[in-house]
Amino acid sequence: MFKFLQQVGDYAKGAANAAKYIGQGLSVTFDHMQRRPVTVQYPYEKLIPSERYRGRIHFEFDKCISCEVCVRVCPIQLPVVDWEFDKASKKKKLHHYSIDFGVCIFCGNCVEYCPTNCLSMTEEYELAAYDRHELNYDNVALGRLPYKVTQDPMVTPQREFAYLPKGVTDSHDLPKGSQRAGSRPEDLVDQMKKEAEQAKQEEEATTQS
Amino acid sequence: MTSGIDLQVSFIKTLTDMGLPQGAAKALWIPLPMTLMVIGAVVGVLVTVWLERKVSAAAQQRIGPEYAGPLGVLQPVADGVKLVFKEDMVPAKADLWLFTLGPILVVVPVILSFLIIPFGQNMVVTDLNVGIFIWISLASIAPIGLLMAGYASNNKYSLLGGLRAAAQSISYEIPLAFAVLAIAMMSNSLSTIDIVEQQAGYGILGWNVWRQPVGFLIFWIAALAECERLPFDLPEAEEELVAGYQTEYAGMRFALFYLGSYINLVLSSLIFAVLYLGGWEFPIPLSQFSDWLGVSQDTSWLQVLTASLGIIMTILKAYFLVFIAVLLRWTVPRVRIDQLLNLGWKFLLPVALVNLLLTAALKLAFPFAFGG
Repeated sequence: MFKFLQQVGDYAKGAANAAKYIGQGLSVTFDHMQRRPVTVQYPYEKLIPSERYRGRIHFEFDKCISCEVCVRVCPIQLPVVDWEFDKASKKKKLHHYSIDFGVCIFCGNCVEYCPTNCLSMTEEYELAAYDRHELNYDNVALGRLPYKVTQDPMVTPQREFAYLPKGVTDSHDLPKGSQRAGSRPEDLVDQMKKEAEQAKQEEEATTQS
Repeated sequence: MTSGIDLQVSFIKTLTDMGLPQGAAKALWIPLPMTLMVIGAVVGVLVTVWLERKVSAAAQQRIGPEYAGPLGVLQPVADGVKLVFKEDMVPAKADLWLFTLGPILVVVPVILSFLIIPFGQNMVVTDLNVGIFIWISLASIAPIGLLMAGYASNNKYSLLGGLRAAAQSISYEIPLAFAVLAIAMMSNSLSTIDIVEQQAGYGILGWNVWRQPVGFLIFWIAALAECERLPFDLPEAEEELVAGYQTEYAGMRFALFYLGSYINLVLSSLIFAVLYLGGWEFPIPLSQFSDWLGVSQDTSWLQVLTASLGIIMTILKAYFLVFIAVLLRWTVPRVRIDQLLNLGWKFLLPVALVNLLLTAALKLAFPFAFGG
């Protein structure tokens, strides 16, 4: 009898606990209702891609020396380099170059290893097409530069989370000229220059004395 | 209590004064509340769908529908129009008749149940003396439709979904009926009007929530399960069963299911409001207001005011419950099928029985507070 009563008591306690947890959960959901939306209203607002964004690859035809390093470092040997050896100049002559972005995984190895820096990553990510073969970009398509989000009059550019001032989590209605937390690359370069100058002066001072 | 305005009596009186026989005047009156109820139910669904999408969006820090009409209020209409224009698909080897009959059998009883929802003293389509019982009996027709739809679709997911829906509805109908029974016992009547009347007079303190603290929880859980709302949406659990019995449905047939599930939610909220939250009653007893103002309760403008306030109160209470249901949807994870049946049979049923017995005992012990 006592054991049964204890069982009933445990069961009641369990039910009460479950109710408590559901109540806590409800309070969390309710609290979320009064927070501002974090969504970016895509076609009207767009995020500014970060400077290391790995978007569609840009290719400069005149810089390419047809060395095929990009093909070798590519996980699937994707770039197609169509060249011919020109006996007169004893150099490879590039005819065509293409990358199929329907297959590319945007790992950036080709960009990393290109000896002449003729490959680079852009911030373009809107690659939708009606036919997958349209994603096979030839050297002309690869040479086009994407349109910048910040220059598009139809789009309100939004900063990404890491580029917001310290403590700010919403990219809407930022005060003008607000900067992200930490120093910007330009500031760092200036600072390094100053430090180098200072070191030089100190060195001169020590040699003179 | 005054009877308030009675539209039926005044309408028939006007027509008989104009020279129509009594029977013809009555026949003219009958379709009016019915069409009004159907329109009200459909508009209620549109509002609920909009509310669900907006509240869900807010809970997830999104914006939700925004471009269809101001604040996206026309989004449910756009959804409906899209469904109307979709292709009418019937899967191969499906039973066309049962496939069509399934959704109809789900929607019609739910709309029929609106007959007994009171919005005021005389603001009800029919004041049946079996009242709330007809809702319970009509609600048990829906699983047949779900099973029919699941079986006729010629799809394993649909069949499983249909079976689950039937199992769920059957096991949660019993605690639901017990919770309602406790209320019926306290108000000595099954009529929804009487149930609200019994809660009247003391404002918010007289509502049944205080007299049935366990009962209203049981009722709410069981009602959520009946509506297949999120903690209990197993019949259409998309991760397991694609969409349950709705898998093969598209176009108007799907729209009927969609409409049915939302009407059911509104209906359950309305019934909850009637049973536990005092129906059309204002939180402060209105008869005191007229005493303070020093006007008779028979004044016409006061009666119009109380009637419209009653409708607003009922709808407000119902939509508060819809809001709670949506909030619960994003709070509570889905239960497993064994947990669902365990909860139904091993927890809700005994607790509902104890609640019923306790109510009976309290009714005998304190007849003044528990409706002697």
